[in-house]
Amino acid sequence: MKRARNVGGFAASALIAGAVLWSLVTTDVELSRLLSAAPRIADFLGRMFPPDPTVMSEIVRGSAETLRIAIVGTLGAVILSVPLGILASDTMAPPAVYRLVRTLLALIRAIPLILVAMLMVGAVGLGPLPGIIAVAFHATGMLAKFYSEAIDNVERAPIAALESAGAGPILRLRHAIWPQMAPVIARDTIFRFELNLRESLVLGIVGAGGIGFYIQTYVRSFQYDKAASVTIAVIIMVIAIEAVNVALRRRFT
Amino acid sequence: MTPAIQTEDLAFSHLGSGLPALAEVALLTPEGAAIALLGPSGAGKTTLLTLLDGRLRGWHGRATVLGSALDPDRAPPLARRADTGFIFQEFALVERSTVLRNVLNGRLARMEFFRALLARPSPNDVTIARTALEDCGIADLAERRVDSLSGGQRQRVAIARCLAQEPRLILADEPVSNLDPVRAAEILSLLTRAARKRGATTVFSSHQPELARRFAERVIGMRNGRIVFDMATEDLSEDATVQLYQDAENPLSPLLQVVQ
Repeated sequence: MKRARNVGGFAASALIAGAVLWSLVTTDVELSRLLSAAPRIADFLGRMFPPDPTVMSEIVRGSAETLRIAIVGTLGAVILSVPLGILASDTMAPPAVYRLVRTLLALIRAIPLILVAMLMVGAVGLGPLPGIIAVAFHATGMLAKFYSEAIDNVERAPIAALESAGAGPILRLRHAIWPQMAPVIARDTIFRFELNLRESLVLGIVGAGGIGFYIQTYVRSFQYDKAASVTIAVIIMVIAIEAVNVALRRRFT
Repeated sequence: MTPAIQTEDLAFSHLGSGLPALAEVALLTPEGAAIALLGPSGAGKTTLLTLLDGRLRGWHGRATVLGSALDPDRAPPLARRADTGFIFQEFALVERSTVLRNVLNGRLARMEFFRALLARPSPNDVTIARTALEDCGIADLAERRVDSLSGGQRQRVAIARCLAQEPRLILADEPVSNLDPVRAAEILSLLTRAARKRGATTVFSSHQPELARRFAERVIGMRNGRIVFDMATEDLSEDATVQLYQDAENPLSPLLQVVQ
């Protein structure tokens, strides 16, 4: 038994080492080329400074659109995730149903957001709408799974206790189930909103709306100082989002 | 005096197990008394209490609780369930809610529906809940969340919830088995005192004959799903309790024999 595990461990190590070597050799990571590129990289960075502050109005407009995409996209995901979460819960749905829905959700999670966005741009055209649809679709894969876990983690004993005390199904839902689920759902939704906002920053690159559009435009037209301003704005936004959400999530324990 | 509980030939066996959890159980309980249900693990105490609370299906025999017959195939109407209070061994509280909210949960069936739904209890409901908290010695914990409490405090909250329900019959399933002997006596003392103050009948199950002696007027001994004795507490002899627990079908015993 032990010997078998050692053989397996050796095989895994060899496989990883092989994969790393193969990647290094075939991707022509040449130190000389990296060194010769150094001045070009320095020049590129130099052209980003000083960042051009005149693009402030574009930054505000783009950020607002990204924020709207994330908000409406999250709302769409919540609306889809409530029924799907119930259907993916093993305490609410029969095995055939929750297994199917869980597989479906895993498939949705496996498709990167940017890919969904590209397909949606193809389907409905440029602008924030494909972004919103992509965010709602992509986020549902995770959010519906979280909701189903929130449902499955509800303790049964307090429900039985309220029933024993003569409370009907609506009151049991309101006073035994809801207090157990609501904070978990709030926390999960805020977390997913944070991810949606971060991920939708780049949606503009494929034409699906938001601030990413400007990064792409300025880089393509060699206006690196403007691209730098937008990048700085994006970094500030990400930090701010995380700070706000950490503070919010702490309220729901 | 009308009996709080009257049963005849109760029988029940858990799905898949050939052994009866209850067999030929007959009980007659006068209203307003405190009754202890003694017996080893697996004697059928929890099964009997669950049946009397109207939460067991598929049993046989006849059972009348507070003057209404129980139906083996369906739960009693909600309004009637409020008259029977149940205290769970594992408390069964909503951990994330406050103590006061949990105690008010016991009164949901007594409130107007919309007050109950919107969690806007009337001043009268709040007074009753706070009195129950006082009787359980935890008035100062009203605004605390249950998940911040100790085991003994949680059991007091569970009892307060049951008292706030204003039941005429209180069924308590091993209400003190998780507590040390001093706390156990405290809790049973406050439970039986509060029940007496409200004129409610109390049936509590326990492993400890000395607690039955101190807090019950009547003791019922159960073993292997049968009632082996039913007597006034002062008649309970040492022999009877020793016999009750001797060679009980303890799930551990075959293992212990192997070890020995």
